[in-house]
Amino acid sequence: MINYYLKKQRLRPILSLWFLCFILATYDVQASGGKDYDSTSYPDQSVITGTVYDGSTKNEPLIGVTVLEKGTGNGTVTDFDGNYSIRVAPGSTLVFSFVGFETKEVVVSDQKTIDVSLNLDQEALEETVVIAFGGKQLKESQVSSIATINPAELKGPTNNLTNMIAGRVPGMISFQRSGEPGADNSDFFIRGLSTFGSGKRNPLILIDNIESTSTDLARLQPDDIDTFSVLKDAAAASVYGARGANGVILITTKSGKAGKAKFSARAASRVSTNTDNFQFADNITYMNLANEAALTRDPLAALPYSRIKIDRTAAGDNPYLYPSNNWIDQILKDYTINQSFNISASGGSERARYYVSGTYNVDNGILDVNSINNFNSNIKLQNYSLRSKLDIDLTSTTSATVNIYGQFDDYNGPIANGGDIIASTVNANPVAFPAIFPSEFYPIAEHPLFGNAPLSLSSNALYVNPYAEMVKGYRTTKNSTVQAQLLIDQKLDFITEGLKIGTMNYIRRYNTYSISRAYNPFYYQASRNPVDNSVMLRVLNDGTQSSIGLPGTEFLNLAGGENQSNSRLYNQFTLNYDKTFNERHVVSAFLINVLQSFETTDYSNLQQSLQYRNHTFSGRFTYAFDRRYIAEFSFGYNGSERFDRTNRYGFFPSFGVSYILSNEAFFEKWKDTFTNLKLRFTYGKAGNDEIGNEDEDRFFYLSRVNPNSGDFGAVFGQDYNYYRPGVSIDRYANSNIGWEISEQYNFGIDIGLWRNLNITAEVYRQKRTNILQRRTEIGDVIGLTADPQVNFAELESKGIDLSLDYNKQINQDWWTQARATLTFATNEVKQTNELNYPDDLSYLSKVGNNASQMYGYLAERLFTDQEEVNNTPTQFGNYTGGDIKYRDVNGDGVITPLDQVPIGLPTTPELIYGFGGTVGYKDFDLSIFFQGSARSSFQIDPRAISPFVLGTGDDTGRQNGLLKAIADSYWSEDNRDLYAFWPRLSSTIIENNVQSSSWWLQNNDFLRLKNLELGYRASEKLTESLGLRSLRIYASGINLAVWSSFKLWDPEMGGNGLGYPIQSTYNLGVQFDF
Amino acid sequence: MKRKLVLVLLLPIVMIYNACDDYLDVVPDGLATVDKIFNLRQEAEKYLFTCYSYMPRLGNLRRNAGFLAGDEMWVPDNRENGDYFALEIALGRQRVANPYYDVWQGEYQGGLPFDGSEIWDGIRHCNIFIQNMSDPSNVPDITPTERERWIAEVKFLKAYYHFYLMRHYGAIPIIKENVSVDAPTPSFDVSRDPYDEGITYIIGLLDEAAAVLPPVIADINTEYGRITSVIAKSLKARILVTAASPLYNGNPDLSVMINKDGTPLYNTAFEASKWEIAADAAKEAIDAAEAAGLRLYKFNKASTGFNLTDTTVTKLSIRNAITDPESFEVIWPNTQSLTDGADGLQASAMAPLEVGHNTRVARKVISPTITMAKLFYTDNGVPITEDKAYDFNDILELREAQPDERYNIEEGYRTSRLNFDREPRFYADLGFDGSMWYKRDALGDETKWHIEGKFGQYSGSDHPFFFNETGYYCKKLVNWRMTFSNDGGTFENYAWPEMRLADLYLLYAEALNEIQGPTAEVYSYLDQIRERAGLDGVVESWAAHSNNPSKPLSKEGLRSIIQQERMIELAFEGQRYWDLLRWKRAVQEFNDNVQGWNINGDDEASYYQIRTIHIQNFISPRDYFWPLSETSLIRNTNLVQNPGW
Repeated sequence: MINYYLKKQRLRPILSLWFLCFILATYDVQASGGKDYDSTSYPDQSVITGTVYDGSTKNEPLIGVTVLEKGTGNGTVTDFDGNYSIRVAPGSTLVFSFVGFETKEVVVSDQKTIDVSLNLDQEALEETVVIAFGGKQLKESQVSSIATINPAELKGPTNNLTNMIAGRVPGMISFQRSGEPGADNSDFFIRGLSTFGSGKRNPLILIDNIESTSTDLARLQPDDIDTFSVLKDAAAASVYGARGANGVILITTKSGKAGKAKFSARAASRVSTNTDNFQFADNITYMNLANEAALTRDPLAALPYSRIKIDRTAAGDNPYLYPSNNWIDQILKDYTINQSFNISASGGSERARYYVSGTYNVDNGILDVNSINNFNSNIKLQNYSLRSKLDIDLTSTTSATVNIYGQFDDYNGPIANGGDIIASTVNANPVAFPAIFPSEFYPIAEHPLFGNAPLSLSSNALYVNPYAEMVKGYRTTKNSTVQAQLLIDQKLDFITEGLKIGTMNYIRRYNTYSISRAYNPFYYQASRNPVDNSVMLRVLNDGTQSSIGLPGTEFLNLAGGENQSNSRLYNQFTLNYDKTFNERHVVSAFLINVLQSFETTDYSNLQQSLQYRNHTFSGRFTYAFDRRYIAEFSFGYNGSERFDRTNRYGFFPSFGVSYILSNEAFFEKWKDTFTNLKLRFTYGKAGNDEIGNEDEDRFFYLSRVNPNSGDFGAVFGQDYNYYRPGVSIDRYANSNIGWEISEQYNFGIDIGLWRNLNITAEVYRQKRTNILQRRTEIGDVIGLTADPQVNFAELESKGIDLSLDYNKQINQDWWTQARATLTFATNEVKQTNELNYPDDLSYLSKVGNNASQMYGYLAERLFTDQEEVNNTPTQFGNYTGGDIKYRDVNGDGVITPLDQVPIGLPTTPELIYGFGGTVGYKDFDLSIFFQGSARSSFQIDPRAISPFVLGTGDDTGRQNGLLKAIADSYWSEDNRDLYAFWPRLSSTIIENNVQSSSWWLQNNDFLRLKNLELGYRASEKLTESLGLRSLRIYASGINLAVWSSFKLWDPEMGGNGLGYPIQSTYNLGVQFDF
Repeated sequence: MKRKLVLVLLLPIVMIYNACDDYLDVVPDGLATVDKIFNLRQEAEKYLFTCYSYMPRLGNLRRNAGFLAGDEMWVPDNRENGDYFALEIALGRQRVANPYYDVWQGEYQGGLPFDGSEIWDGIRHCNIFIQNMSDPSNVPDITPTERERWIAEVKFLKAYYHFYLMRHYGAIPIIKENVSVDAPTPSFDVSRDPYDEGITYIIGLLDEAAAVLPPVIADINTEYGRITSVIAKSLKARILVTAASPLYNGNPDLSVMINKDGTPLYNTAFEASKWEIAADAAKEAIDAAEAAGLRLYKFNKASTGFNLTDTTVTKLSIRNAITDPESFEVIWPNTQSLTDGADGLQASAMAPLEVGHNTRVARKVISPTITMAKLFYTDNGVPITEDKAYDFNDILELREAQPDERYNIEEGYRTSRLNFDREPRFYADLGFDGSMWYKRDALGDETKWHIEGKFGQYSGSDHPFFFNETGYYCKKLVNWRMTFSNDGGTFENYAWPEMRLADLYLLYAEALNEIQGPTAEVYSYLDQIRERAGLDGVVESWAAHSNNPSKPLSKEGLRSIIQQERMIELAFEGQRYWDLLRWKRAVQEFNDNVQGWNINGDDEASYYQIRTIHIQNFISPRDYFWPLSETSLIRNTNLVQNPGW
């Protein structure tokens, strides 16, 4: 597949170039693999008619069966009575195909009528789902809650698989907060956030049963995926007791199939742009409002910008003396081009089969880096991966699988991450200095002449020049993941039929390192030469006495780096038994023992450096009777190294029953409408041992003491140099701490209607208990240096997952598919450790609220004037008319944290939905997919967008820009709009206005046109002439439009609005298999 | 073949299950735990230092509420230079939600040793240390003498930390023993102990410590700064004088302070005996200090090789008593609170003395108020309002410095009337527009450096955040060996003097006057201090120069003189705020205006105008004590709030 993603007119040259490449590529394929097309015609064609029947018991005519002359495009579809008519020559072959039935071929001799009966496709009926530990289960006998997604659904014009999940998987809450390559993974939770402990909240990801990170998932190629399942309830996940409480994502990659080598290749190149650029006010407004901001707070304040400067800038005077930058245009490109290549080969003999695939992806950032250096500091993330799977039948009863996977990221980018550069860009003063002066100003300098200015006349600090920040150096980061996996299965039928043992072992190593190289930029300031009115430059940071800021260097320095590794070793042994007795009793059982250990260099103390280990012993037993009644029992008995010996192991049982109504004899009469009707119920428990703060907490039964703490040292001696570090106690021992437990009920119903429509609906309730918490109620007087922790909190969550699939071949030319999912998940804190609030402050209690509920003050409106301020309860810091007025909830005459109430909806969306479909006409198909999110809120971070505010600390030299939305609506002395978007301007942070409050609350609902695709599949004739097995051309786009009440930035980014924008991509592409 | 394979498969299983038992035991022996600390002297010493690490950093402008919560000095209220949360108290913004300079919860610059940590933690460490060290089977490699000494030091620290809290909050819970981490929740809800019981307990600890500790540090290279018996006795004197003072001794305002179980927290009846035991303790401390070789600091002119005038030598005696790292007057140097560095106390006080001097090391933000400038005596040794010879009523009047005044004020420079005819401590402690700033690098030329403080001048206030608010500068806190260099400057480091002998003398004089009224002994201690400051004795100064010559002869008059003497002598050392509170004079003094010269003026006419920086509003009795935060009260319902909050 070769894709080109296009957006703007200016891309036409690229488009033409691409077509040229495509033609060349096509030519190449023709040259190497093409064969001459021999067109032959049969003159003595005759008309064949007939009827197609349902070959099952009823023998009724089938409507909409495709009838094709084999090897040609000649075909038709049966009508309402199952009749068809087609003109073919004798000797040709007719192919009858219909969804859910086996395809049948009939050779035409001299008959005129051919009636055909199609048999039900047993394979389709016996559709399997992947369950825990590599097992497979007939979909029919599935009891627990498992959502399976067709991997093709996950294909899209993005190099990050996690961004394709939202709205496509029922039961999964997912959102993307950043669009920066390498940092653009979506957050996802199965059935919403179901714990609020500080430990693991996201699901366990298993790729070929190897515990993987969300980045591994992001890098996975949809082409390589064989199955993608999500285990949602405890009954499905309990066997993973140690990590399964938050649900499990189970992915298997493709295996080879015996036969001739088959190749599949894909090359893609796409254009991506920001979904939404921030709208800033123009620079003249900026200066006028900066002056107003200073004066409105202090009538005697010095004006930041003189009238002359404003007028000259407006007149477009010398750009070096009166700079006026549009930093976003100068730093960010409108679009960037990404590429993706994937090739796979599979095949083999009956005894040994292989699947090999390789991937190369390039994601570029949107920084506009000019060639002032010979190094490029734009973000470029290159990703290589190689996957090789070999299945060998060692004997007739023994099989082995060897699976080797390597995944490598090469990142090149600015010293700071892309989000930081964006932050410098939107927080740069636009009129204080130009980005860079032409080198003619100072020809002898070999370094770039960056512009800058001191923060004030007597300041020792300079502004941040975002352009210099971007180009002053570069960072390279290399990540490698290598894993080797061996599976061996042995059938033990010679002991008893249906018995099998197996073992699976893998080792996985990960390493990342990064190196940064940068020079310190030289900064220059322009002034007018009074003699001849020319522009003079003055160096600001040459290191002399009057130098300001870090002195410049002409040479690169090493600017830090890091190196981290981790390793995982896994060993599994399984025992399986499957047998059917008397054709009606299906029994299966399996037992598994797993040992796994993990070690990482990402530690900050000795306790963290120790190995992480788990022991799991679990099993599952199922019994099915007559394909109608199914019962299942599973358990996990799990041990974790983190807990004290006395409660190191947790036992997590589960059971489930299901009833397939549609297989009952009495149901037969409705079978035409209800092709499938099944009820399911499960109850179970699962555990979570990754609790507490990952950076600090392990071995809760041990205290953690730092015997060499620099924070608590002391110094003595006449010369103040007899120093000894002190002792800090960072954790108190508590041997009672154990597993966080999830207890779940799931009720599901599967409905199949008219063979076209499949509906699955599930409702669930989950109670999470033993959530680890800090005992914050212990007063300061006790003098504890760390809050003791206990398994205390409880959270109850519940929700609905709904999915709907529709497939229909309307007639020979038209077919359609539709799909919709809806996930609703909400939760309620049942018990939490908090202060003992008296009755009149009971609203402060978190019990009864959502775990991600925000708290804040109730903002009533803006103050009209100082007099009103004087006559209302005291608020925060200095404030006056035009600042936010809060409600004194507890009526004590002062606004304090005790006046904070729950505001808005949860920050994690409660409702995620997606819907879309495909319509096909002949060789064309059109797909559209919408995705939405509802029932969540966020707060704008007012500190981040307070205009004209100078940064402090690490942000020194940054100055917040003026968003157009603020310039358009703010309280001013002339326009006392009590409900303006922005309060009275100020050039410093007004503490009163940046409190968490309903003023900044925003609704986070949105609906997005996630994906749109128009495709054309070349006819077999053309395909064959090119020597290909298939060929398809299509145009598609992702994140094309969004509807939301919030307009300042992409609503999916939430409060992180001035970060790296979410990307839209556009493409036009071709795909071929050979 | 099949059977072989099965065996091959079974083999690893057998191996795994053999090892399985220990599989989850990943913790090796030898992890650091509290018990391990007390195995060796070397580790136990670190725990001792941990106990010391909570020592309040009173030599830090931001971490000494005494500097900024009152009216002694002001700083620019400007966020670019970081917050001064104690100043928020002076500005009348103290609050119950997130209190400023919150020592109780260790927030807003009240944390020890840093924000987020509480002095209560230090007390818990002290208890752990005392408990473990008292068990002779712990730390077997320490000598019994040293063990006793360490325990005594930590007892001292435990007492001091309690006192530090009591200064802010009055009666507090006394943590004699630690509450176990595993205790049931109700036992965490400790309540306040009555103030006098607390005092008795911590005085007991100090007595136990003083009995064991050495009077002087022998090994000054590694132990200078450690607690001695003289320090313990001196602190005892300060605590007992505080407890005898009007705020705590018979203060009817505190009758409302009753625990929820009905226990009154203060004895509201005056007890004269409190002054007696305070006087005894002060005398005992003075005797011990003098026996240990401590005496009032006098500058040794001979050590310089320069030919310095007596005026300058007197001023150096006053300045160096505090800033000389080897000052033999300092009883208790706090080596945890040093004063050098670009953000140190000295840099905050220092002013540029020439065009081009770097404002990063000469920030001049410490700005003594006009109230303080008026407090100092005239050169006749009496208050400016009482001196018969001079009229200071119109401080806007300017005068030109005469040649004989050139060691104090630049010759020919014109400055306010207020700055002329003052006592040596005025010129030693304060800088102002036109004043000399003698430093060692001026060599013998005592007139080399002077301040020019109008707007636009080199010491003026045109820096956006490193500027002086009042036009008065604090020379007292800067060591005379300070030097400027091209890119900054260097300070001679000194440890913050928590207590010096002059303080003890004044405490003793104060207590003695309360018991006996004016006596020769009271005068003698005052006069020793005045003598070092270049002034005549109290009686003769008042007799000769005051329009109220009999003032030193009455108990009340002498009390007023002792209090003024104390505020002058200990000016800018963070004592005035606490003294005015314990004398219950804060409600008068802290309802005055905070004033300075008009620092935005760039000529004499505009600069010498009085600029009111802040109108103080001290609410009595509320502001005599810090508020407990409202969350502390919700967390522990047995705590009662201080009056008025």
